[in-house]
Amino acid sequence: MRRITRHPVIAPSEGRREVSFSFDGADLRGYEGEMISSALFANGIKRFSVHPKGGAPQGIFCANGQCSQCTVIVDGLPKKACITPLSAGLKVATMEGLPVLPESAAGLASNEKRVIATDVLVIGGGPSGLGAATELAKLGFSVVLADDKESLGGKLVLQTHKFFGSEEDCHAGTRGFDIAKKLEAELRANPKATILTNSPVVGIFKDRKAGIYKDYSSYLLVDFKALVVAAGARERSIIFPGNDLLGVYGAGAFQTLVNRDLVRAAERVLVVGSGNVGLIGSYHALQAGIEVAGIVEILDKVNGYKVHADKIVRMGVPIHLSSTVVSAEGDGKLERVTIAKVDKDWKPLLDTARTYEVDTLLIAAGLSPCEEFYRQAVEFGFLAVRAGDAEEIAEASSAMFGGRISALALAKMLGKKVEIDETWVAKREVLKSKPGDRICRDLVEADEKWRPVFFCEEEIPCNPCTTVCPTGSIKLEPRRGNILDLPYFRGNDCRGCTACVAACPGLAVSLLRRIDASWSEVVLPYEFLADFEAGSMHTLLDLGGNTLEEAELLRKVHNSKYKTWILHFKVSAAVAPRVIGIRVQRPEATASLATPRFSCASEDAIVCRCERVSFGELVQFVKDNRVTDINQLKTLRAGMGACGSKTCSSLYPSVFRAAGIDPKAVEAGTLRPLTVEVPMGDLVNEDRNHGQAERDADAAQRGGY
Amino acid sequence: MKSYDVLIAGAGSIGVPLAYYCAKKGLKVGVIDQEASWGRGQNRAAIGGIRATHSDPAKIRICQESLAIAASFEEEHGIDIEWHQGGYLFVAYDEQREKAFRELLKVQHAAGLGIDWIDAKRVAELSPGIAMEGLRGGTYSPGDGFASPLMTNTAFHRLAIEAGAEFIFGERVTGLDMKGTRIEALVSDKGRYSAGLYVDTAGAQGAEIAAWAGSEMPVHPDAHEGGVTEPVARFMEPMLVDIRADSESGNYYFYQATTGQVVFCITPKPQIWGTDTDNTSSFLPLCVRRMLELYPRLRNLKVRRTWRGLYPMTPDGLPIVGYAREAENLLLAVGMCGQGFMIGPGLGRILARVIADRSEDYGFIFDELTPYRKFEGMEMLK
Repeated sequence: MRRITRHPVIAPSEGRREVSFSFDGADLRGYEGEMISSALFANGIKRFSVHPKGGAPQGIFCANGQCSQCTVIVDGLPKKACITPLSAGLKVATMEGLPVLPESAAGLASNEKRVIATDVLVIGGGPSGLGAATELAKLGFSVVLADDKESLGGKLVLQTHKFFGSEEDCHAGTRGFDIAKKLEAELRANPKATILTNSPVVGIFKDRKAGIYKDYSSYLLVDFKALVVAAGARERSIIFPGNDLLGVYGAGAFQTLVNRDLVRAAERVLVVGSGNVGLIGSYHALQAGIEVAGIVEILDKVNGYKVHADKIVRMGVPIHLSSTVVSAEGDGKLERVTIAKVDKDWKPLLDTARTYEVDTLLIAAGLSPCEEFYRQAVEFGFLAVRAGDAEEIAEASSAMFGGRISALALAKMLGKKVEIDETWVAKREVLKSKPGDRICRDLVEADEKWRPVFFCEEEIPCNPCTTVCPTGSIKLEPRRGNILDLPYFRGNDCRGCTACVAACPGLAVSLLRRIDASWSEVVLPYEFLADFEAGSMHTLLDLGGNTLEEAELLRKVHNSKYKTWILHFKVSAAVAPRVIGIRVQRPEATASLATPRFSCASEDAIVCRCERVSFGELVQFVKDNRVTDINQLKTLRAGMGACGSKTCSSLYPSVFRAAGIDPKAVEAGTLRPLTVEVPMGDLVNEDRNHGQAERDADAAQRGGY
Repeated sequence: MKSYDVLIAGAGSIGVPLAYYCAKKGLKVGVIDQEASWGRGQNRAAIGGIRATHSDPAKIRICQESLAIAASFEEEHGIDIEWHQGGYLFVAYDEQREKAFRELLKVQHAAGLGIDWIDAKRVAELSPGIAMEGLRGGTYSPGDGFASPLMTNTAFHRLAIEAGAEFIFGERVTGLDMKGTRIEALVSDKGRYSAGLYVDTAGAQGAEIAAWAGSEMPVHPDAHEGGVTEPVARFMEPMLVDIRADSESGNYYFYQATTGQVVFCITPKPQIWGTDTDNTSSFLPLCVRRMLELYPRLRNLKVRRTWRGLYPMTPDGLPIVGYAREAENLLLAVGMCGQGFMIGPGLGRILARVIADRSEDYGFIFDELTPYRKFEGMEMLK
């Protein structure tokens, strides 16, 4: 089984019931209640369906209930594997081409139109939606918060790393999934709030109602006065040949499989994109025992926070700058990826190509806001605000404030006299701010007394080290006068408590103490399984990932609050102040093939995954038909699939550009409900438990078929 | 000022095929539309059915032409429009409906239409899983069928530009320069254009354009919503039409497209007049309930997307085709009553023959659909 049974940070949930199910007739085992996609991955099955067009294998892509690529046949019906829970005895099968609509002769037993009314509907229960709903409920508004996932918190529940930001404002230093629980508890305590989980909003309508697919089993209309759109963001797809192969998917999907479901989804991954998502995704892979062959970044510099990048490089993962994916190839599934350097126009230089044998390519090429409902609401003239990533892609810490601020703005629109706390706005802005300057630090010297050494060199909104220091000796050096400032050790009262080492989200603080003239003791954080004992030797690295020396571990202590190991090393005095990393990954993991192996045809790249429409087909169509309207691409069925154009829409500008048309002059595609497919029986709330199977059998007997 | 032999106002279900057939006959054709591209008025909202089984001779003749075009389209032009000859099936669940359908058969047979009464068993063979209780049978016309409105209009646009027609998108007609009973120029918000003949194919805006010539056309749009499901393997053959009304709705109809999706539509009761094309929350629960009452097997079929379009209605449910008395060089082809897609190809080819070849074979169409008729009664199979 490809399960992660031990993880340095996540405790595998206990007491889960193992059940039997079948896939294409073979008996398999999985956990009751886990998503079918995860159960299949755990059994090594990644091919879920065969597309009617060209027989292409399909599997996991978004793992987020959005894209429908993971559809399988469950007890005779096509279902998205990533949102369908496993239960004992399920018959799961590969969907081969178009599914067969099962016979069902029993007449419609009942139907019911369900409508509830509320002041405010909040779409999305991530950090911003939770914040907004809490604030509005506090002001006395009735609030319905609807989220498509089983648990609230949005992407926080996938975040196993410690957060940046400040401890007092946004739980910095706490891991994302723990923050989610705190935010949820706050909202649940308010009786004005109704929370609907597992319930995607599937459309908003001109008569100021929203349709909700409640519990993925019934249809609920919500009559609202105003709307908060906090639906988050979706991962952007990118265009390269082989982008549709099994094993090419989003970093978010990977985090879902690995961090939420503890499935060892891959053996060796390559990551596209050096933003925080790609950097953190790589780190999560390493924590799960999955090798990372490298990170590919088309820009000439790392796109995410420097502390994240430094951390990854220290673990032994190279970041290939000014590089792009040339092709992804394999027989029915991903087997190798070729990358190459790019010229100033981002065209690949094929003589620099390098091929990596990996089974998974993670796409972390940025996020697009899910703001379609907001756009529609504004068109319809509704009172509406956006919050979180739906408003602007930024960190979760900023979203927590953003949600509350948007809520107050909406309260004002609804006629409530409220004042928006200016300090909140300032905090939101700082927390979402891009990194500031890079500042060189002076090398410190070891002393007989403990002292922390800081390796963060870039201004980012972060200060947990200053708040956890029991003597208050760590302070932000006022340069900007806000949380972007860098921390320094001020004073001489370090007790060697290691709190700052454990709390730093960037793993960028060490403790240093002189043992004697030739040796020093260095204390480092370690977020991996520490299956070694005192006396073992480890490769220690500097900030740039360069090897400094093999050093002896003196002792290891587990900090359970931060789920971080604190490792004490004996290091030669000459290098000790520069030590900040421990090599985790073997160098062979990042090796490329001796000679590159690829064939490159960029027109084969898939743009519309649902309907399998290629880049080449679209460009030709645009040229032949003089298309300047995205709606016309529907003629090729592009954007007409189950995902409702959620995946392909961000790729259309590239199509028009390639056809010689300025994307800015192109008419946008029209938005229409539903955003998630809903079975007809559920739309009319037919009472399915009312013996439909018996009635079917009965009808069959009477010759109804 | 740019000038054309024929200037068509409205690049939709009627205007685009007309542009192609006129350009193919060597005429210099311009088409102007306020939308960003072709078919973005009501063609985008069309369901896709094409049938000749109407109750009046003009529409029967036009749609026979459309059927012939659709059935041979791929062969003739090498472009797939997803034509499927699945037939139309009007179902009867009560004596009154059966009687009415059988009465109508006489008229339809007299017009030479391939339509017959089939019994309940045959209905169930054509649409397995349909509710059997009370089912008496229906009238079935196997020569009718359906195609993709999107693909069809795109194909005609492509053929039209290849034949030399010019399309002017994103310009709204703001007036007509008249000199006596002749139009001198068509004025848009961005330019002026002249032509020997102006054709009003502006669908829901058709009456507006005619009014600038002083012609008052009784065309008033009402809104209908439609939807499409996920694709499944073929399980039903015909376009199913249930013309029974209930307290919330009139008729509704649906079919399974070539690519496997079920496309559906309903007439709300009371009708919703106006030009709003934004979706409402009432459509799905209503239309789906009625579909499941008729066809419970659909309960497991997932709805994918919905939309709303307009039926430019005339008081008698028949289109308006004819020259305006108020402007001798204005040809009106408006008020398609929600059937522009099935009328468009045939009407386009017929009008091109009239315009370019001065054909006199179609006088009965002009007589029957004249803008100056009394507009009494209502077509039964609307």
